[in-house]
Amino acid sequence: MSKVHTLALYNDFEEAGRTLQELKAANLPGFRMDDVAIKSPIEHPELSEMLGKRPVYVQLYTLAGAVLGSTVGFTLIASAQANFLLQIRGGRPVVPIPPDMVLTYELFILIGVLMTVVGCFIAWKLPGNRSTLYNTSISEDKIGILVKADPLVIPKINEIFSRHQPLEIMGEQGR
Amino acid sequence: MIHTTDESDIQIERRFVPKAKDISEDIAWAQINKDVLRSMERPRLMYWVIFLASLALFSFGVYCEVYQYQTGLGVADLENPQVWGLYIATFIFWIGMSHSGTLLSAILHIMHADWRKPIYRFAEAMTTFSLMTAGLFVLVHLGRVWEFYYVVAYPNERWVWPNFNSPLVWDATAIGTYLTSSIVFLYFGMIPDLAICRDNAKGFRKKFYWFLSLGWQGTDRQWANFRVAYLTIACFLIPLAVSVHSIVATDFAVSQQPGWHITSFPPYFVAGALYSGCAAIITLFIVLRYVFRFEAYMTMPILDKTCRLTFAIAMVWTYLNLIEYASVWYGNDEYAKQTLIFRATGTYAPYWWAMNFLGSIVPFALAFKSLRNHLPTMMVVSLLLNLGMWLERFMIVTPTFAHGYYPWTWTGDWWPSWVQWGIVAGSFGWFSMLFMLFCKIFPTVSMYEVKEMVYHRFMARKARA
Amino acid sequence: MSLSNLIKNWSSLRVKRPYEDQYKDKDYKWAMVIDLDACTGCNACTTACYAENNLPVVGREAFSKGQAMHWLRIERYWGEGEHMDKFPDHGAQFLPMMCQQCESAPCEVVCPVGATHHTPDGLNSQVYNRCIGSRYCSANCPYKVRYFNWWQYPERAWPNPLEQQLNPDVTVRSKGVMEKCTFCVQRLTEAKNRARTEGRRVADGEVTTACAQACPTSAITFGNLADDKSQVARIWERQQIKLASDKQEKDENLRGYRIFEELRTYPSVVYLERVRDSEA
Repeated sequence: MSKVHTLALYNDFEEAGRTLQELKAANLPGFRMDDVAIKSPIEHPELSEMLGKRPVYVQLYTLAGAVLGSTVGFTLIASAQANFLLQIRGGRPVVPIPPDMVLTYELFILIGVLMTVVGCFIAWKLPGNRSTLYNTSISEDKIGILVKADPLVIPKINEIFSRHQPLEIMGEQGR
Repeated sequence: MIHTTDESDIQIERRFVPKAKDISEDIAWAQINKDVLRSMERPRLMYWVIFLASLALFSFGVYCEVYQYQTGLGVADLENPQVWGLYIATFIFWIGMSHSGTLLSAILHIMHADWRKPIYRFAEAMTTFSLMTAGLFVLVHLGRVWEFYYVVAYPNERWVWPNFNSPLVWDATAIGTYLTSSIVFLYFGMIPDLAICRDNAKGFRKKFYWFLSLGWQGTDRQWANFRVAYLTIACFLIPLAVSVHSIVATDFAVSQQPGWHITSFPPYFVAGALYSGCAAIITLFIVLRYVFRFEAYMTMPILDKTCRLTFAIAMVWTYLNLIEYASVWYGNDEYAKQTLIFRATGTYAPYWWAMNFLGSIVPFALAFKSLRNHLPTMMVVSLLLNLGMWLERFMIVTPTFAHGYYPWTWTGDWWPSWVQWGIVAGSFGWFSMLFMLFCKIFPTVSMYEVKEMVYHRFMARKARA
Repeated sequence: MSLSNLIKNWSSLRVKRPYEDQYKDKDYKWAMVIDLDACTGCNACTTACYAENNLPVVGREAFSKGQAMHWLRIERYWGEGEHMDKFPDHGAQFLPMMCQQCESAPCEVVCPVGATHHTPDGLNSQVYNRCIGSRYCSANCPYKVRYFNWWQYPERAWPNPLEQQLNPDVTVRSKGVMEKCTFCVQRLTEAKNRARTEGRRVADGEVTTACAQACPTSAITFGNLADDKSQVARIWERQQIKLASDKQEKDENLRGYRIFEELRTYPSVVYLERVRDSEA
């Protein structure tokens, strides 16, 4: 049985926080805290903590990018120079270390930055995966709580929602 | 979008010394959205004046470049020792200008200085566009622009590579990296705001912002990843910015010429870069504040802080400038010493003294609170500081060519032709044209960060009460 | 493939030049000696160079702007102030200046595209097709002997039928590229090819540059430094000048010197100082 979504809009973070606490305490069957998402105009770390630990793996991509950028960068540059032997310039060695270090440094940063972005995009599950339950006032000043749960528990969840003066409760149509 | 142009709800300060009022903590978040999105609606008349003036300047620059492209670089009146002229001087100027965006957004972001929040967006845009302008000069100064891609290390069947020893290749790599990273940084930090635009736009604009906002819905997972990624890119950008201008400095420091072969050039260049960039931020701050009526966000306390930061950097630059003279003067290199004396007493002496005056004496205007809060004065001072920094670059490039090692090639009377001046003027047009377009298409004040700033201040006040 | 090449040849890839006896086992190292005592400043060498290497005559206006293309220029010094020539009535001092074909050339390091590099026979070569005209080489040349094509010269310097007098062995450069003295590389290549066909080394005096050929007082000597018996090598030997040294340890009364040796460019041209008669 597939799960369905429901979204409640709140005026401020305190109401949303109380709602989350009650959701957590209710311990409903067919519903996990993992399926709850907050949609807010600004980040609110304290509120997100109530949802449990949600690790961020972007740094790993950054590390991979930085290591890749520096090693591959240096190898590519040095071997390009080594394969261009005729070109002795200014009495310098064919593979000079300081210039290669400069270029390696730049590639280290470039690939690091790009891999960070890629990591973030992967974490955002791009492309696609956009939930249809969204209200434009979230980007203004309202806080949304999105719950994915068993259709049977949805009424109960909506009941919890409505106890904390929601502005609006949105459900998925046609299910 | 909100299609109102009523000015009744905007408090326009019509005085030159506005009240030192910071952003109100009680400002409604919806109001922030409304105010910033309005900047993307019909702008003030001044916007079109600036935009059309820059378009005219840019067109003239294009005309000069086309003329130079077709006729040859001879029309720039460049000659045997004076091979670079204004092109490379202005190139360094624009590269330098790009550094303060990073300073303001990345360094202050890491240090949690929340006053940066309303102004970092346009500073980053300034970074990106001045880098693009600098890139133009790399192309403009080439004898054979159509072969510029030889500098790029692209795989080819003949195994021909660029010369990785050359500082120009380091330049190309560093500027490419910096341009990419700063565009990524600018765009990435804008995604939550683009979602706001998407939610408020209609028609093709909605589609445009819908695409750019990458499905941003402000979920906690999106925010958590966004934060980490943004901070990481900021951390990368700081050493990158320092390395970029150091590498531009190595264009000179690595060469053998007297007046260039100086160890302190990289830090000197970096300080000069931050300096001119901060001055440009003050200029653009005042312009944007006026043109887009951002009085409530670009507040006087923020300008005050920016001015003090600029003053501090001006003093760092002054110190490094004196160090450069001192190390040449007390060094044992007779050629370098002669070049320094030529700078101070030769044909270009008026510009040298003007540069020292504008760079080291004029910034003391920033030390006075009454002057810092007087907008027209700050406008003039910031423009003068940038003129001084442009002269600094001119004084680095030209006198060394005019008075290098070889006495036979000493020239005292070299002066750039109108084509060079036209292209330099065109670059300013190109920059301000791009900048003005950006301000119209994208939110210039970061809405979500201003909300955060207001929220945190509000909570702090509540905690105190 | 490239990685294994990198690892296998690492030590040879890290060699710095020049080193002592670098050209001992090589066939060629072209070098020059200019006797300033013999130079009369007649400009015959410059004229020969213009004819041999298809140098454009730029005209009065461009010349006055400093856009002349003389690969070989005669410099005239009178001195001024306290450096004033002690014997002005003896006339000016002359110095023919062309690319010094440095062993550790500042221009080679900074070219972004590698359009200028060192050939195995010790020349500082310029690849016109590769040059993009960044002019960094000229900026970094202490002698300022690199010349840039500021204009599209072929159209203006040799109006029909003057293009008939161009040297067919030398290309005509377009606008936007750097050029400089090549030691008449077209002659050297021809001589080397001829010698190789006959299975020998180019003999001393078999090939010479246009300037050396045209000099009425034989002030310019050109030859192969790798050949011990060549005239150039003998003069270098006699003047106690070592190619790979930035400060020559030589006897007091010797006239030979290289310009800007202290910059560690290791030039291939030795000048013999002018002797001035202080009694007259």
